[in-house]
Amino acid sequence: MGGVEKQRCIIDFTLSSLLRRKGKNGALLVVYTLVVFLLASVMLFTQAIRKEAAAVLADAPELVVQRIVAGRHDLIPLDYMGKIGAIRGVRAVSGRLWGYYYDPLFGANYTLVVPEEQAGGLGEIAVGQGVARSSMASEGNIMPFHTHDGRLVSLTVARVLPASTELVSSDLILLTAEDFRMLFGVPAGVATDLVVAVANPAEVPTIAAKIARLLPDTRPIARSEILRTYDAAFSWRSGILLAILAGALLAFLIFAWDKATGLSAEERREIGILKAVGWETGDVLAMKFWEGSVISLSAFLAGVVLAYLHVFVAAAPLFEPVLKGWSVLYPRFRLTPSLDFAQLAVLFFLVVVPYAVATIVPAWRAATVDPDAVMRG
Amino acid sequence: MIELLDVHKTFNQGKPNEYVALRGITLAIASCQATVLKGPSGSGKTTLLSILGGMARPSAGRIILSGREITSLPERFLTDIRRRTFGFIFQQFNLIRGISVLENVMLPAYPCGESHSLLRGRALALLELFGLAGRAATRVEWLSGGEMQRVAIARALINDPAVIVADEPTAHLDTKLSGEFLEFMARLKGEGKTIIMASHDPLVCEAGVVERVVEMRDGRVVAGGGAP
Repeated sequence: MGGVEKQRCIIDFTLSSLLRRKGKNGALLVVYTLVVFLLASVMLFTQAIRKEAAAVLADAPELVVQRIVAGRHDLIPLDYMGKIGAIRGVRAVSGRLWGYYYDPLFGANYTLVVPEEQAGGLGEIAVGQGVARSSMASEGNIMPFHTHDGRLVSLTVARVLPASTELVSSDLILLTAEDFRMLFGVPAGVATDLVVAVANPAEVPTIAAKIARLLPDTRPIARSEILRTYDAAFSWRSGILLAILAGALLAFLIFAWDKATGLSAEERREIGILKAVGWETGDVLAMKFWEGSVISLSAFLAGVVLAYLHVFVAAAPLFEPVLKGWSVLYPRFRLTPSLDFAQLAVLFFLVVVPYAVATIVPAWRAATVDPDAVMRG
Repeated sequence: MIELLDVHKTFNQGKPNEYVALRGITLAIASCQATVLKGPSGSGKTTLLSILGGMARPSAGRIILSGREITSLPERFLTDIRRRTFGFIFQQFNLIRGISVLENVMLPAYPCGESHSLLRGRALALLELFGLAGRAATRVEWLSGGEMQRVAIARALINDPAVIVADEPTAHLDTKLSGEFLEFMARLKGEGKTIIMASHDPLVCEAGVVERVVEMRDGRVVAGGGAP
């Protein structure tokens, strides 16, 4: 009980002691919080966007087959479907039509996809939020397109896709197969690629190998490979951002190290007084430990809460251009809140523990001198 | 009773700036008396005071406090004895700036593990005794010299020590405040406390409260030494 009271008293003194140097400690707290905020933002954002991508891609086909000509993706004949459908374990095969369209008017790239189920009637399209924003189109408007042979055709916006799917649908335009073939001059009897449904997901690699053997000019791509690519892309992006932040982090470390390890003459004098009036070296160290803990814990908590608000409430306006979005259109959507406690623990040990330790070392050096230095000083 | 047996103190031993502050001091100080260590600057008064009070260890010799030798006790035990037995009043008061009068008074008791509310009550009672109750929440740097002195005395008394140790207590005080300080010491002695002061101020050495003056020069006792 005495030990608890003792620590309570020491914490009490530590807090009034911190309040005395409001300027210095306030500046340190602000910079510290900012660094934790940036690091935690990158961490929360990368984690959430990965989860988001994985959740959206969960509905993606298990296996896609593309035709390769001279090492490049080419249109695939629809009669390949029969050969693939005959492989044991394949549940269904269908052709997909999709491609890219550059709109010179708005300087934007769109992804055009023919959905499996008919999205609308002939001459009608459904557009993603990003397309709607960049072209200022809403339901009922007409969007002009240049066909492969130079004609200008107009398609009607029948629907704008919901914002919740914006991560993958921002630059999307859904249209009918007939409109797609007319726009790009894709003849009947070929598709962009084939989608293969497999009865048992564990057999995907085997079936992919069989397809590659049966049709040597094709390339089967499993869903897990797409997920891996997404994962790598987001890790790479967060890595780039962290590399940019590394300079700021280093500056902070130098600043914090200087503040934490350098004791001013005033602080030395105070440690001397405390020892002279009956504090042990251990009591002085406990005080310094609490001091470091109060600053670093407050900064950690404030930084993480601010990062949470930044990423999940404000939709990460600081990192949007770097971390998410496609080449031209940036999706605008709210991420599903998720916290990875293991990552938070790593962040905690990287920022809180070193600071708390750094405050103790110089105090230990000052506190081990004989208390009579105060009498003679 | 505090006894010193052949106490020596050398600073920076073995280094070019070696300095011998005390040379074989043997002295016994009786309880419930006021003793003054008198001597010019550099005579070793402050060093002897800090060794007497357990703030520094002698280079050689022994210190016996109430029949128990404390010379070679580990820091933890020595600090505990010092905290409970001695109350220190420093030459420049050594109050901690930026915190309140009340907190300054409570500081020496923090490591004792006493309940915060009890401790606060005791500190407020002491401030009341010294006429500083109304200044409890004031920061110490806003106090007058006399008030600072009384806060320093209150702080020295917070752990109810048996011995009050004061180093040049009147060095920064005018005659009126010095007189006031000596009155406080007389009151404390009346309550059964032992007072040990280092001073070369005649006002202190010749004060009525003082029973014994130990004269020092060049690290040696030259008059008033030996048994009380």
